[in-house]
Amino acid sequence: MPKAVKGVLVECDPSIKAIILKIDQAKHDYIVEDLDDQTLVVKESQLQRLKARLEEELSNTQQMPDDSASD
Amino acid sequence: MSASSLRSFEYLEGLPGTTFNRLYKQPSTALAIFRRMLPHLAKSFVMALLYISHPMPVTDLEAWVRPDGRRERDNAVNLLERLHILAAATNPGKPRAYALTNPFAASLRLALTGGGNHHSFGVPYSTSEEDTMSITDLDEFARRQWEGVLGYMVGSTGMNIASEGVTLSQGVKILLASGRLVEARGKTVDITKDGFAFILQEVNAQVWTMLILYLQNAESLNMDEVDVLAFLFMLGSLELGLPYSKANLTQTQANMLEDLGDFGIVYQASPDSSYFYPTRLATTLTSDAGGLRSSSFASPADNNRGFIVIETNYRVYAYTSSNLQIAILQLFARLITRYPNMVAGKVTRESIRRAVSMGITSDQIISYLTTHAHPQMAKNQPVLPPTVVDQIRLWQLEGDRMKATVGFLFKDFNSQAEFQAPCRYAEEIGVLVWKHEGQRKFFVTRHEQVAAYLRNKSGKGG
Repeated sequence: MPKAVKGVLVECDPSIKAIILKIDQAKHDYIVEDLDDQTLVVKESQLQRLKARLEEELSNTQQMPDDSASD
Repeated sequence: MSASSLRSFEYLEGLPGTTFNRLYKQPSTALAIFRRMLPHLAKSFVMALLYISHPMPVTDLEAWVRPDGRRERDNAVNLLERLHILAAATNPGKPRAYALTNPFAASLRLALTGGGNHHSFGVPYSTSEEDTMSITDLDEFARRQWEGVLGYMVGSTGMNIASEGVTLSQGVKILLASGRLVEARGKTVDITKDGFAFILQEVNAQVWTMLILYLQNAESLNMDEVDVLAFLFMLGSLELGLPYSKANLTQTQANMLEDLGDFGIVYQASPDSSYFYPTRLATTLTSDAGGLRSSSFASPADNNRGFIVIETNYRVYAYTSSNLQIAILQLFARLITRYPNMVAGKVTRESIRRAVSMGITSDQIISYLTTHAHPQMAKNQPVLPPTVVDQIRLWQLEGDRMKATVGFLFKDFNSQAEFQAPCRYAEEIGVLVWKHEGQRKFFVTRHEQVAAYLRNKSGKGG
């Protein structure tokens, strides 16, 4: 019998997905279903927290180009 | 369909059937839902079924729509069912048939052809000459009150907004806080993500958002939800510039007048006067015309005019002296200088990123800039320089590393055939977001129709 599960479909680059998997690894409290390289389903209630965590991870590893301060 | 009616839809659909039953007893409510909330095809269905006393078999209903319009038909029927306007009559042994539900049909007939003693469209009141309010006065009152509310919300962004003598009642402040549009921190208030999105909406959408908040709060104030809703729909059918009597209002509705006065939706000379005026905010609630745009609602000096110029080098010039407009602009632009009649600034990566992190989308910013473009800018085609538009979008994308869609995942199909049929159906009705043949899984934004389809299917199959 087919089943329906509520959640948020997240589509992203494989590299971003790898980070999400890493974040989820600690407690397994984000991901509902891992679909493929670029898609997964996460819990709706956790989406905001996941975004914040992702932003945090990225800012640790990436350097944003500077805003030119000239006016 | 405008964002505002979508918003009110979502709220209405969540109500239980009994509430609809009571709501539809008012002809004004039935008419308001009919004219504001229904797409044209749904209107045609309702009109066709209105004077037919027996249920119409599904096959006949389907015959009215060309085969290539199946998706529109399904959407229309589905919407009518969700709003409890259309119900399937279940006669065992006979084919499925649809009929309009009764309080709705009766009320709509009354609304269209007149008659009855329902006072549902308000009772005009005759005032002496000197007491009458002109339409300009009412517009001015509505503008002042509504800007007072908005000013209170953005007041925390660092601009000091002189509220032009508008004092917000405690009720309004509590309402804003309970809707999480602002957050009270000690003595000051901070605007939230939702609050920012709210500020950039057009006025009609803002009013609806506010009224839905009011509705959600109504029960905790011991107000009857149906009474409140019926009154709002009635307000939408009143005529601007005419006074209406308070005599036939229920106690709840009389109390509401005071609260709505705080928003500038209705005007009354004093809480115990025996009549009230609806303002433009009220009379455009349920009309398709949408009448009042936020641009025409800016301060009187900027009357109806756009005032923003944006150049290809991301510089922004805004010809305004309204503190509210400046505060809004400051949400996504870095303002550098202010002159008596104009402010100058720049849209930067940083300022857009800040706006995005506060929950404002690039589309909201772009549409705000477009609708408020200076007449000289508005002559251009396209209105905004494409480089700026693209860059604003790119700046947002930079922060959005993933695309999130709320919905439902269907899985565990036994066979490929069992999987394919509902998947194709989901695609046809436009809810399919993602599918994977091999894993036999697919993702949809709404599950009701697909679930119904699956149930039907398994019913037929055995």
